[in-house]
Amino acid sequence: MSDLILLSHPLFGVLGILAGVWVLVDALNVTPQTEGRVRSVSMLAAALIWLAYIFGGYWYVFSYTPEKAIILKGPWPFAHAFFMETKEHAFFMLLLLATFLPIAARNKLAASPGARKLVCWTAVLVIGLGLMMDGSGAFISMGVKLGLMPAAAPM
Amino acid sequence: MQDRELSNATVSFGLSAAIVNVFNGLLVILKESNQDTLLAWMKTVTFHHWITHGLLDLILFVVIGFILSKTNAGKGVSMSANALILVLVLSVVIGYTLIAGFFLLE
Repeated sequence: MSDLILLSHPLFGVLGILAGVWVLVDALNVTPQTEGRVRSVSMLAAALIWLAYIFGGYWYVFSYTPEKAIILKGPWPFAHAFFMETKEHAFFMLLLLATFLPIAARNKLAASPGARKLVCWTAVLVIGLGLMMDGSGAFISMGVKLGLMPAAAPM
Repeated sequence: MQDRELSNATVSFGLSAAIVNVFNGLLVILKESNQDTLLAWMKTVTFHHWITHGLLDLILFVVIGFILSKTNAGKGVSMSANALILVLVLSVVIGYTLIAGFFLLE
């Protein structure tokens, strides 16, 4: 069960990033007919990032402690000391911006270049922060993996 | 409702997100530098400092956004889209630098 929760975190995170890319592309080419779709996908992006936060947060609070110990004893202690510590706190910025995205998308995007630009930039920030979370997760996974590997035998 | 470029809610909650992005970074430094006091208190509120941290951010986001939307006789803060974008991007850069910089130097 813990593994499923852990895997749900990057799954929803990546889907949230993809939804952010969809919002960006759709907002760049928005027409009065597609404004509704931009708003719907913005809501979807926010919901997916919230799910990534809930699943990742649950796992971090209730299941991460043993893996943290493995990382800190292994060859890559910075996978926790820098990447996890930064990720767990920077995620809040991603959460706020993902929550703000559907609010920004409620403006008249086709009629207002400024509103359209704001949605595009918010989507870019969501995508960028999402990718940084994803990359940090890769370092954390590698930190656990290296911590579990036996020390290399001398040649 | 709007002949302005952005709605009241957009500017209010956009500014609120920017403010909380910086607050979030400052709170990281404050709690990690005061583990016996602030961090310990945050653990007592919800049993985990990270949950308390997230709750504080989210509550502030809603409260600040709501307060800003009620200023100026209910019309909210007036701001161009370009200015709001600049504030949001800067807040992310500052917030991320505060967090990453702190853990890099710690």
